[in-house]
Amino acid sequence: MNVFAGVGGGSAATDAAPAVGTGKALLELTPHKIAVCHLVQVFAPPAQAGGDVVPPFPFESLAHHNRLGLFLFTLTRSCEDFLEPPLEEFLRQLKAVDDLTNGWFCEQLTSTLSALNSPDDLFNFFDKLRGVLTAPEGASAEDIFLDPNSQLGVFLRCCILAFNSMTFEGVCHLLADIVMYCNSTDASYDMAEDENFNNEVGSMMDADIGSQADMFDKYHRGFSSGSHMGESSSALTRAPMLPYDSDDANTSKADDNPTCLRSRWQLEAYLNQQADILEKDPSSVPLNSFNATMTKLRTLAPELHRVQFLQYLNALCHDDYVTSVDNLHRYFDYSAGMQGLFGRSVSPVQDIVVGKYESALLCLGNLHCYFGHPKKALEAFAEAVRVSQMNNDDSCLAYVLGAISNLLSKIGMSNTVGIISSPYSIGTNIGLGTPLSIQQQLLVLLKRSLKRADMLKLPSLLSFDHLSLAKFDLKHVQRPLVSFGPNASTKLRTCPVDVCKNLRLSSRVLTDFGTDVLSTSNDNGSFSTSWLRNLSAATGSWRSSSVKSTKLHNNDFDNFHYHAQPCPVPAPVLQLAGSACLLRATAWEHYGSAPMVRMNALVYATCFADASSSSEMSLAYVKLIQQLAVFKGYSAAFCALKLAEKKFPSSTSSHIQLLRMQILHERALHRGHLKIAQQICDEFGVLSSSVCGVDIELKTEASVRRARTLLAAKQFSQAAAVANSLFSTCYKYNLQVENASVLLLLAEIYKKSDNAVLGLPYALASQSFCKSFNLDLLEASATLTLAELWLALGSSHAKRALSLVYQCLPMILGHGGLELRARAHITLAKCHLSDPKFSVPEDPEAVLDPLNQATEDLQVLEYHDMAAEAYYLKAMAYNHLGKLDEREEAAACFKEHITALEKPHNEEDSLVY
Amino acid sequence: MASGKETYRAELRAAARQLGERCLYSAAKWAAELLVGVEPDAAPALSCAMDPPSSSSATPAGRLLHMHRSGGSSFRPRPRPGGGGGSEAGTPLGGVSYVSTPIPDDDAFDSGGDKYLLAKTYFDCREYRRAAHVLQNQVGRKAVFLRCYALYMAGEKRKEAEMIELEGSLGKSNAVNEELVALERELSTHRRTGSIDSFGLYLYGIVLRDKGCEGLARTILVESVNSYPWNWSAWSELQSLCTSSDILNSLNLKNHWMKDFFLASAYLELKMHEEALKRYERLVGVFRCSGYIQAQIATVQYSMRDLDEAEMIFEELLRTDPFRVDSMDVYSNLLYAKESLTALSFLAHRVFLTDKYRPESCCIIANYYSLKGLHEKSVLYFQRALKLNRKYLSAWTLMGHEYVELKNTPAAIDAYRRAVDINPRDFRAWYGLGQIYEMMGMPFYALYYFRKSSHLQPDDARLWIAMAQCYESDQLQMIEEAIKCYERAEKSNDTEGIALHQLAKLHSMLGQSEKAAFYYKKDLERMEIEERQGQNFVEALLFLAKHYRSIGRFEEAEHYCTRLLDYTGPEKETAKNMLQSIKRLQSGFPSMDIDNFSL
Repeated sequence: MNVFAGVGGGSAATDAAPAVGTGKALLELTPHKIAVCHLVQVFAPPAQAGGDVVPPFPFESLAHHNRLGLFLFTLTRSCEDFLEPPLEEFLRQLKAVDDLTNGWFCEQLTSTLSALNSPDDLFNFFDKLRGVLTAPEGASAEDIFLDPNSQLGVFLRCCILAFNSMTFEGVCHLLADIVMYCNSTDASYDMAEDENFNNEVGSMMDADIGSQADMFDKYHRGFSSGSHMGESSSALTRAPMLPYDSDDANTSKADDNPTCLRSRWQLEAYLNQQADILEKDPSSVPLNSFNATMTKLRTLAPELHRVQFLQYLNALCHDDYVTSVDNLHRYFDYSAGMQGLFGRSVSPVQDIVVGKYESALLCLGNLHCYFGHPKKALEAFAEAVRVSQMNNDDSCLAYVLGAISNLLSKIGMSNTVGIISSPYSIGTNIGLGTPLSIQQQLLVLLKRSLKRADMLKLPSLLSFDHLSLAKFDLKHVQRPLVSFGPNASTKLRTCPVDVCKNLRLSSRVLTDFGTDVLSTSNDNGSFSTSWLRNLSAATGSWRSSSVKSTKLHNNDFDNFHYHAQPCPVPAPVLQLAGSACLLRATAWEHYGSAPMVRMNALVYATCFADASSSSEMSLAYVKLIQQLAVFKGYSAAFCALKLAEKKFPSSTSSHIQLLRMQILHERALHRGHLKIAQQICDEFGVLSSSVCGVDIELKTEASVRRARTLLAAKQFSQAAAVANSLFSTCYKYNLQVENASVLLLLAEIYKKSDNAVLGLPYALASQSFCKSFNLDLLEASATLTLAELWLALGSSHAKRALSLVYQCLPMILGHGGLELRARAHITLAKCHLSDPKFSVPEDPEAVLDPLNQATEDLQVLEYHDMAAEAYYLKAMAYNHLGKLDEREEAAACFKEHITALEKPHNEEDSLVY
Repeated sequence: MASGKETYRAELRAAARQLGERCLYSAAKWAAELLVGVEPDAAPALSCAMDPPSSSSATPAGRLLHMHRSGGSSFRPRPRPGGGGGSEAGTPLGGVSYVSTPIPDDDAFDSGGDKYLLAKTYFDCREYRRAAHVLQNQVGRKAVFLRCYALYMAGEKRKEAEMIELEGSLGKSNAVNEELVALERELSTHRRTGSIDSFGLYLYGIVLRDKGCEGLARTILVESVNSYPWNWSAWSELQSLCTSSDILNSLNLKNHWMKDFFLASAYLELKMHEEALKRYERLVGVFRCSGYIQAQIATVQYSMRDLDEAEMIFEELLRTDPFRVDSMDVYSNLLYAKESLTALSFLAHRVFLTDKYRPESCCIIANYYSLKGLHEKSVLYFQRALKLNRKYLSAWTLMGHEYVELKNTPAAIDAYRRAVDINPRDFRAWYGLGQIYEMMGMPFYALYYFRKSSHLQPDDARLWIAMAQCYESDQLQMIEEAIKCYERAEKSNDTEGIALHQLAKLHSMLGQSEKAAFYYKKDLERMEIEERQGQNFVEALLFLAKHYRSIGRFEEAEHYCTRLLDYTGPEKETAKNMLQSIKRLQSGFPSMDIDNFSL
């Protein structure tokens, strides 16, 4: 659940409401619609007696006929803009569709439109239209006539209805608009104005008055003189429309076009599309120009309150707190939360139009959550829970519960006391008297939300809850809330099975419901929009290159297949399925299977790229790049990072920014550039300020990195202090998974500070933690540390250490990264070397092989410290073997690494990549 | 002083005539009204002008348009003979020296004089396009102005019609005055060539304002009023463009006495009541009989919640000018606040007979019904008022109140919100929004609105108390925040004394008995001064008695206990017990106090 949860339109509700409420027609007639009506008439001419020509007159082939039909269909559904295109643009599109009749359609269209001179002409026009819809007597099945229930048929009927319910003033306005619409392409228009302008510089105003009078005469009283159209200055009063995406410059010449809005359906689809863009790539939408566009739309349609919601989203995406709060409140004040909020594909069966103001609170909570005010967010959510309970709004309640669990899992809170101040709020809603830890509350909330979602048949919420549960199971031990008697078994382990089950259920739910609920009104106009856009692109290139013959077929169906195929799965479903995939990658990251992480992240990046939000997409990239860094070394990772940064500018994507810092820090540590490492640590410290709203994981990571930097600088006591305080933090916030790694870090610190005895208990504790949390790779690493610690206790323990190393070797070699593998190899060699019973000359391979492997890996990582150790061991081994040349070579390498470590030159390099 | 007055008279006389000749009716009316409002020297002016315009809380812009529309028939200035003389000296008023502005000479009736006459008659009959057409080839400034003005009015008229014609399912489409572009082009040319007079500048200013170029419009209007200060319409347009005191202070205005009127009215709009009152009181020294100034003073006093004073002024005003409708909505609000039903019904009856199709009249009638508790009818009349003037701010707010009474929360929220969107500085509507959400059990959500309103009116105790009550509510229970709010309320003169009592209670709840005692004592003093007694009084006494006993200041404790004895009820018994225990303690018994537990 994110801030975009509230976008979108209950189309079912909104379509019905205005029609009932105001008694107005569904559609407002505009010149553009008249033109489309005319073309529909050409497409499906009123049946003539006898003459059943297939295809009808101007068409040369069935394909030709169908193409016009498709064109008309897309015209009624496309939503690339909120204004209707000017005639010029329309004619251009028409020409692209109709390449065979040599512009016959265009001529016919313009002549028909310019022939509409009096109200009576319009009446006759619509009379004729009616003929299209009535089947002729004795029509057989093969006859072509328009099905009144088809998309075009409904459109036509709406137009006729709109005309019939129009007042005479309305007809006059329509006529004036039609004339203006035709004028916009009139070739003689520009010249005529120039002439007049030159002649009448002296008495410009008088001419204007004259022309005004003419205008008035012609359009308002219905006289048909029609000589001075070019002088009309009133057309200039319409402000030019500037769409913010400048790639379609066609629409920008809308100066002379009457500003006509598209149908409500198209407007809503347009707004949804804009919301999608905002979610997917907020950086592509400039704050102010988008606001200007929305303000324009708002002046044109003041009762379309959804625009305010878009403005809220826009402000939110650009981190403008004040504006977003303002717009949020304004939207809900006007719409009373009745304009539909959840799910764009609302079917009448699934009646989830959330009424009333509790949804406002939900959005407010999400807003505070987004801006990092968890306390306020919780207050808002708590109130939302209360109000939706009061109003029996179960679906909103379910969503709120989902949102709360999302919030609780994100922020670190040791307990809710003090955060949720009122005793009436969440705590008692759960129905348990005793105060619960935040994790327990979270679990209860999730389960409740799941139950509700299941009951109310909210598939996307259900799926979301399953995902959250999986996330919960991944990291937390489920303790029974209440345990009775001595027989109550308390099995303190995480259950990967549960995680897996939930992940699967989450996707299953979507497919279960997919057929009947989610895909009912799947057409959101995007197909039509991209079809049309493609058409204009094709004609554009045709115009510029003027190679007519080769480009002629560019606008055929085939070309649209890959760009514009309507996706069979609606975007929100796809998004949830994608999240499941990403979560699976995360789960494998914990359980320690590198190939599975890679695979899932790759699947996400390739299959769900279309529907994913920018933050999730960047997360997938982060995972892939992290894998690269661990397995292929830093240069490969930085190459990939550069690509990723191009795709997600670091100003917008915090994930990428963090990743950059992580990799830089690792490399600096390995290279021994401690100053740089410290500098990056400080940056982490800034990001993870102690404010409550900051992600708890970021906070822990900052501390871990600090401890590691101190460790690298050999300030053991300080490092231990940091790690200890981190451990207590993790304990306080119940971050058990992090505890395991912190314990391991502590063991590592004691190992480095030659306090192997002290390190042992930590390593053992970490190992047992890992076991109960199924963190296999971390466990292997802990075992390795344990082996190292034993080894450090003296050569008498070499045997035990060796067996430990062998124990963890399969896991490490299968899934471990370069560093871990090298460490294992070195430890292995060390075990052999320190074993008094082992003699090198007998079995030189047992030592040399792992050492060679280790030096190779460490070379890639530029890990000087360990590389030096490996070379040292190698030199020792060669010394035992008596191979002096090789010994000297290894020793030279050892020296090289030692000097690199002790005298780090050009440290600044560590910040560039 | 007399000669000074004569100067004012001469200036105003010329202005009324000149403005009337240019069909700027409401400005002419204002000037004429002021003219007879100058304190009479010898013979008092018998007839006062009918209804001077005023700017009450409704936005002047909307009202002005309305006046433009009805101006033709309702009032026609009598042309007076005589050229523009008497332009010599601006008289110091209240020690401020004014810059004298010469009254410009009118264009002599040149060759086009007859045509101008015809055009003006057309204009008076509201045939604007005809008027413009007649003046087509005239080049005199006056003719050019009237032609442009007629075109502007024609465009406005058409716009109003179109606004209704174009109403679609998504709300009104953007009807615009189609003449604006042409007018702007012409007027800017005239301005460049210098062939524009101050009236033309005024028209240019409103054209620019309609086109949304507010900054330039302000500059132009300042130019206009600097060259011809007697055009009140220009001043009030300028005022509507001054939405903050910073903008107001940045204006470069010539120091003419008309500027005082402007500043006073602007201060009133910006809620700087003291400054407004000061200026009006100075002006009333000269324009003693001006109904306009009286009405404004009354409005200021109403805004400062000085109801009795304001009522007196309004009564007097209505006596001298019985057919007045302007500002009477403020009077009705006042009567509503005082709950004087008869007076309100009398007023409603009167304005209904005078002109029932004025937004003010509808508002007054709606107020009457509201006071009667007939909220459906009240809403009906508010709706009518809003049909007549869509930007009638107070009507939106008041209608919101009515919907609240009718328990129609979405409609109420909608009404308040529209008020807020018309004027974001309307704290009443923000307060109303907050109240509604609080009523709906959403105190956290309501806080946003209360914060907005108290930001606009930081010295209003009611707003702070409302906010505190939200914080204090069962759902939120943010006691510390509530205490902060009550402290603010207490500082800003909380007449009802809620803040003190609540502060004391909350502090005692938090166990801060020192502070609680301090506030109880203050509350007690307040109640003594106002001679109010009740449960709160007893509560305060009881708390103080206990508190002083527990900290060992027995004399004070005894004092409060004795006072408690005057009251009946269980507290009396408690007090008796306490007195006994105090006696025991004072007489040196061991301090082991069992009564402490029993109380």
